[in-house]
Amino acid sequence: MFNFKHEWIEKNVGLMLIATMIAISIGGLVEIAPLFFIKETVEKVDGVRPYTPLESRGRDIYVREGCYLCHSQMIRPFRDEALRYGHYSLAAESKYDHPFQWGSKRTGPDLARVGNKYSNDWHVQHLIDPKSMVPPSVMPRYPWLMTTALDYSDMAERLMALRQVGVPYSLTQGEYDRNVKDFGAEVAQTLHIPDAQKNLIAQAQAGNFDGDRSNVSEMDAVVAYLQVLGTMVDFSKYDNDEFVKFR
Amino acid sequence: MEWLQWFSREENTKPLALLIFFITFCLILIYVFGSKKRGERLESHKDIPFLDEDSDTKEAKE
Amino acid sequence: MAAVDVAGTEQYNFDIVRKFTIMALVWGAVGMLVGVYIASELAWPFLNFDSPYITFGRLRPVHTGAVIFGFGGSALFATSYYVVQRTCQARLFGDGMASFTFWGWQAVIVLAALSYVMGYSQGREYAEMEWPIDLLIEVVWVTYLIVFVGTLMKRKQPHIYVANWFYLSFILATALLHTFNNLAVPVSLFTLKSYSLFAGTQDAMTQWWYGHNAVGFFLTAAFLGMMYYFVPKQAGRPIYSYRLSIVHFWALSFLYMWVGAHHLHWTALPDWTSTLAATFSIMLLLPSWGGMINGIMTLSGAWDKLRTDPIMRFMIVALSFYGMSTFEGPMMSLKDVNALSHYTDWTVGHVHSGALGWVAMITFGSMYHLIPKLWDTKMYSEKLINIHFWLATIGTLLYITAMWISGIMQGLMWRAFDDFGNLQYSFAESVAAMHPFYAMRAIGGMFFLTGMLLMLFNTYMTIRQSNSQGSKLEVNPANAVA
Repeated sequence: MFNFKHEWIEKNVGLMLIATMIAISIGGLVEIAPLFFIKETVEKVDGVRPYTPLESRGRDIYVREGCYLCHSQMIRPFRDEALRYGHYSLAAESKYDHPFQWGSKRTGPDLARVGNKYSNDWHVQHLIDPKSMVPPSVMPRYPWLMTTALDYSDMAERLMALRQVGVPYSLTQGEYDRNVKDFGAEVAQTLHIPDAQKNLIAQAQAGNFDGDRSNVSEMDAVVAYLQVLGTMVDFSKYDNDEFVKFR
Repeated sequence: MEWLQWFSREENTKPLALLIFFITFCLILIYVFGSKKRGERLESHKDIPFLDEDSDTKEAKE
Repeated sequence: MAAVDVAGTEQYNFDIVRKFTIMALVWGAVGMLVGVYIASELAWPFLNFDSPYITFGRLRPVHTGAVIFGFGGSALFATSYYVVQRTCQARLFGDGMASFTFWGWQAVIVLAALSYVMGYSQGREYAEMEWPIDLLIEVVWVTYLIVFVGTLMKRKQPHIYVANWFYLSFILATALLHTFNNLAVPVSLFTLKSYSLFAGTQDAMTQWWYGHNAVGFFLTAAFLGMMYYFVPKQAGRPIYSYRLSIVHFWALSFLYMWVGAHHLHWTALPDWTSTLAATFSIMLLLPSWGGMINGIMTLSGAWDKLRTDPIMRFMIVALSFYGMSTFEGPMMSLKDVNALSHYTDWTVGHVHSGALGWVAMITFGSMYHLIPKLWDTKMYSEKLINIHFWLATIGTLLYITAMWISGIMQGLMWRAFDDFGNLQYSFAESVAAMHPFYAMRAIGGMFFLTGMLLMLFNTYMTIRQSNSQGSKLEVNPANAVA
């Protein structure tokens, strides 16, 4: 008869390694692997597009400064959050986010739909001196964003890296045409890597995010990023319970 | 391969998983605590930390 | 270090243990100092001083990195290298490789801290290190595994003691987690910046699978290994039940890996994943408390020592906090509780009841047991250990009480409605209400830090005392113990 002894494991390093490895692998496999295969994990929604070069650089600065440590970007389906922040966040809305920035702590408010809520001027003033706009704020001041010129020399390389991890920035004519089909001509143009620097400067000039057209500052990039957050999906096009089935 | 579909439904896999985990847990408990003799054998290893007292502190050596 | 040689360097490699022990205390002091500073920044924001290098956002990973990987990691290297040698009755495998893990690991902590301050971050909590540092960690960690398993293989004792199972499980799990959570594509070979391989939902799941198991294996399983060796040694009695430890080990190793998604309740992660995680979180209470009971029952019968032995006090309080936070954790993983607690300071308080109450306290206890053995002397001052104990306990209690109040208050203020169905408070009002508790938390941290500094001083004096005793020993061995 099969007569198991736990001592086999206790006396044999190899067995112990294998048994432990099996025990610790199952949980992750069962919970993570299906997320890549189940189609419903990320719902299909119109409007979600990759970030423009300027927004993408703004996002890099958001990560650099550790904003995610105090601000979440994930609205939960509760009445108070709907009133305070807007429609709950969809998986599709962060499908181009490498890395995700859902956050885990709200020392400050959620930013998932902060875009278009305040003016560019408000953001600039708030980033330079938060207390001047929100007196009880405990946020650090970020005056150097205004005075530091944005380094966009490696813009194309950055987008190339993002393209490698699956974001549909275009390099070839074929990819460009695909983007025209998926996102429309206007967006497709901003996603074209050979024009990355040109597009970045053009958007900063046109948007004038930091109120100073003489150069492209880090402030331009950050505000451009904040202003696009949560604005890509037009929820008026969908029924109220359209997204419930994906949760 | 039609029968594999059975596993893709949550109402099937939930009780199945529960059953597998619960039975495994019970088997482990029975193995570990079920027999007095085996219990004594398993317990005999708990003195390992005390088997090399010779090179402990000075107090121990004196 | 003549005294040291007497203690038997031939038999065991204690040199590496001593190095890691000292660095654990140094990183503990540094990490906790940064912790107190960032806690103060939240209470008194002028402390950010308009400098990019010391804003909360950049210093926070410095704090978590220095305490988790610097203090916790070095303490685990030290104790695992000690325990595996003593319980296998064999010298550590590969002196050179062990030495490499020391210098490599210290380099990781320093480089990580510098890169955060300079603004390089992957933007993943507790895994902010950019790709070159991640690669260095990978190499160090594989070397660690080889040293540890190599030592187990040359053991003279036929059985592998339970503490080593926990250490082994911690090493394996950390390798697995670190590898998969840090998959990223660098912008170029000459920049630190990289973009993670996964996006959005899958990225979130991977990160919290990592994040929670960094708690589960780095900060729990490994420290349980510490507990399984040092608690019996200090109490002078074997572990209460070896059979319970078998069940404890397998259940804990298996269950922990399932629970990460409870950090993502009510998010865009599919419901089935977070529900599964919540279910396993509840089940995890059983092995957690099994381990706590095993530790506490080992001390039963030695209760009288609690009055006289401050090291025992550290251990019993650590086990109590372990029991408390492993009860709180499953409770917070219930979706309805989580709806209130998530995103608030309650989570921060919970982490610290585990990190200060359990991880740091069991480390202090074990280190106070270990240091006299490593330098073959007595601790310089028993009284200072006692003061450290009280500072640490009061500090922890202040900290978690402040965070409970502020966390629950935040949660309730955010969801409060007035009579007309509008939100009762603006977000800014909830921030204003936190101020007294942020101040209280910073003060709690200062207590804890003071205790840590006392320990550093006490250890320094102990080593000095050992060195001078050592020289006496050479002249006249008979006087050495006097």
